[in-house]
Amino acid sequence: MHSIKTSFAALAAASIAASAAMADGHALSGDLKIISDMSNPAPRAVMEGMVADFKEMHPDLNIELTIVDREAWKTQIRNALSANPPDVVNWYAANRMKPYVDAGLFADISDLWAEPEFEALASTKGAMTLDGKQWGVPYTYYQWGVYYRKDIYEELGLEEPATWEEELANCQAILDSGRKCYTIGSKFLWTAGGWFDYINSRTNGYDFHIALASGEVEWTDDRVKQTFANWRQLIDMGAFIDDHQTYSWQEAMPFMVNGEAAAYLMGNFSVAAFREGGLTDDQLDFYQFPVINPDVDYAEDAPTDTFHIASGAQNMDAAKEFLRFVTSADNQTKINSGDALGQLPVNANSSIDNDKFLAEGFEMLSNNAGGGIMQFFDRDFDAEMASVGMEGLQEFMVFPDNLDDILARLEETRQRIYN
Amino acid sequence: MFPTPIEKSSRQWQISYQLILPLVLILWLAPLLAVALFSIKPDADFVNGNFWGMPSSFEMFNNYGKVFFESNMPKYLLNSLFITIPTVIGAVALSAMAGFALGVYRFKGNLLIFFMFIAGNFVPFQILMVPVRDLTIQMGMYDTVAGLVLFHVAFQTGFCTLFMRNFIRALPFPLIEAARVEGIAEWKIFWYVVLPLMKPALAALAVLIFTFIWNDYFWAVVLTQGPNAQPVTAGITEFNSQFRAAYHLMSAGSIVAALPPVLMFFIMQKHFIAGLTLGAVK
Repeated sequence: MHSIKTSFAALAAASIAASAAMADGHALSGDLKIISDMSNPAPRAVMEGMVADFKEMHPDLNIELTIVDREAWKTQIRNALSANPPDVVNWYAANRMKPYVDAGLFADISDLWAEPEFEALASTKGAMTLDGKQWGVPYTYYQWGVYYRKDIYEELGLEEPATWEEELANCQAILDSGRKCYTIGSKFLWTAGGWFDYINSRTNGYDFHIALASGEVEWTDDRVKQTFANWRQLIDMGAFIDDHQTYSWQEAMPFMVNGEAAAYLMGNFSVAAFREGGLTDDQLDFYQFPVINPDVDYAEDAPTDTFHIASGAQNMDAAKEFLRFVTSADNQTKINSGDALGQLPVNANSSIDNDKFLAEGFEMLSNNAGGGIMQFFDRDFDAEMASVGMEGLQEFMVFPDNLDDILARLEETRQRIYN
Repeated sequence: MFPTPIEKSSRQWQISYQLILPLVLILWLAPLLAVALFSIKPDADFVNGNFWGMPSSFEMFNNYGKVFFESNMPKYLLNSLFITIPTVIGAVALSAMAGFALGVYRFKGNLLIFFMFIAGNFVPFQILMVPVRDLTIQMGMYDTVAGLVLFHVAFQTGFCTLFMRNFIRALPFPLIEAARVEGIAEWKIFWYVVLPLMKPALAALAVLIFTFIWNDYFWAVVLTQGPNAQPVTAGITEFNSQFRAAYHLMSAGSIVAALPPVLMFFIMQKHFIAGLTLGAVK
C-alpha cells in the first residue's frame, strides 16, 4: 500500500502541474478533430467524458469527436489518416504503429515526451518509441501474469514461485495431486504467444525479445532454442491441460474454476470472468511470472492503447494539449477506475481502485518491470510474422518434437518478411 | 412410387424406422437445441464449464430482456426488415416484368439476355466482394440500408428472372393471344392476365428471397458497419465485448434473429415447398 500513498502525494503535485498547463492553454481555439475507436459502451462513455472535460478547460475550442467501431477502425485508419486527416486518433503501441510511422502518417511528438511531466510515463516509453522517436501517448493498459488458485496452493503447502526451479517444483507437486499446473486454450493461437513472450523475455531479456520481434535475430538462434527448451520442461511434465488446442481462452477457464488446473497465464480481463464463475478473492490470486535467467530484468506483457497525432493535423497545439491532458495523473486515475475502463493507469503518479489485482498489477508495472513493457506477441511482431509464429507456437505445444521444423519455417518467414 | 411409403414397408423396417427417426432428429437438431439451452443459462455456467447440464439458474427473461432492451438488437432487427422487405418487393417486381418480356416476346437477343441472367447466377459472389465494396463507397452508399438493398435486388434478380421466365413460358400461351385479339394493351395483359396466374410463383419466390436475404451474412459484413445499417445476422457479434464472448446473449440473439424466417416458413409453408419444386417441373 506504500506505493499508493506516495502516488497520492505525487498526484497532488501532478494536479498542480496540470493546472499550470491549463493556465497557458487558454489560447487554444479553432477546431480539434478526434477519431476514436473506443466504441464499446464503457470506453465510449470514457471518451465522451474526456472530450467534455477538455472542452470545459478550453471553451474556445470546437471539438469534433467521431467514434468508430473498434474492429472497423483497424481497416479504416490508413484511409482516415491519408485523406482529410483528423488531428488525434486512437491506435496501439509498438510494432502496430510501424506501418503508419513508416508512411509518415503519425506526427513525431518527441518534444512532448521531453517534458518533465512525461517522466511518469517512463514504463511505456519504449513501447511508444520507433526509430528513436516517440509517436504517441498511452492512455490505458492492463497487466499479464499468472492467476492461480490460492486455495489449491495452500492445500498443497505451496508458495508463489519466484524462480524457475520453484516453479517446476510447484508444478510437480500440483501434478502429483492429480491436477494440471496450467490451463490454456490455444485454439485461437494467441494464448500460446503469451507463454512465448514470458519464457523468451525471462530467458534472454527484453532487448533480445524485441530484436527477435523486429526481425533482427534468426529464429534458429541458439538463444531462441533455449527458450523453447525451457518451455519444453513444462510440456514434458504434462503441466498444461490436455487437448488445449480445441479450446478458446474462455472455454479453458472451467478447468481452473473447477479446480482441475491450478493456474492460468492470462491478462487481467480474466478476473471479471473468474469472479463471475464463483471464485472469491480468497481463492484467486496473482503472481508475476518467475525469474528464469537471473541476469535479465523483469519484462512484462501489458498491451497498451494509445492516442496519436496525425502528421496532417490542422490544429497541432490543441492536439498536443489534448495528449497532455489524456496522460495527466488525475485524468488517468479517472478514466481507468473500476466504473470506467477498469484497467491500469499508465501514469505512475495516478492512483487506482481498491482491487487487489489492479493494485498488484499497478505496483508490478510501475516498479518491477525494469526490463520493459512488451505489447504482446501479436502486437510486437510484424502482423504476418505473428500469425505464422503463433501457429508454430501452438504446434510446438502439441508436438514439441517438431521444433526444428517449426523454427526452420519461422526463419523462412522472417527472411521473406523482413528482408 | 419411390421412395416406398413407410406404411407399405415390412413391419421390421417400420419399427427400426421409428427407432432411428427420433435419434437422427435429435442428432440433427443438437446444435439448435444447444443454442436454445445456452440462451437460458447465466454467464457463470460458461465459466464453470456447465455447458450441457441444467442451467444453474434460469435466466431466460434476463437474457432475452437484455437482448431486447439493453442492446442494439431491436435496431438490427428493424434494419433487417428494412433491408429484406424492399429487396423482396424490388427483386420480385423486376423479375416478374423481365420474365414476362423474356417469356412472351420474340425478339433478337432474347435468348442471349436470358443466358446472361442465368450466367449471373454462376458468378461466385466472393469474387464480387472487392469491386462491389468499392462501387458502393464511390456511390456514397457504403454502410447504408439503401446500398445493401440495391445490391441485393440487382444480385437476386438474375435468379428470380430465370424462375419467372420459365413459369410464364409454362402458362397457356393462347390466353395471351386471346387477350391480344380482344385488343388489350400489352401492359394490361401483363397486369390483368399474366400476373394473376403468376400468384403461386410470386408467393413462392417472395418467401424464398425473404429467407435468402434475411439470412445473408456475407454482404452484411462487407457493405455495412454499425447499428445504423447492419442487419441482425451481423449485429449479433455486438454481444462480444473487447475480450469476452457473451455466449448466453449471443445464443438468445441468434434465436431471436432466426425466428422471422421460421415464422415465415410456417405461415407460407405451402408456397415454400412449391417454390423449391417449381423450377424443376419445367
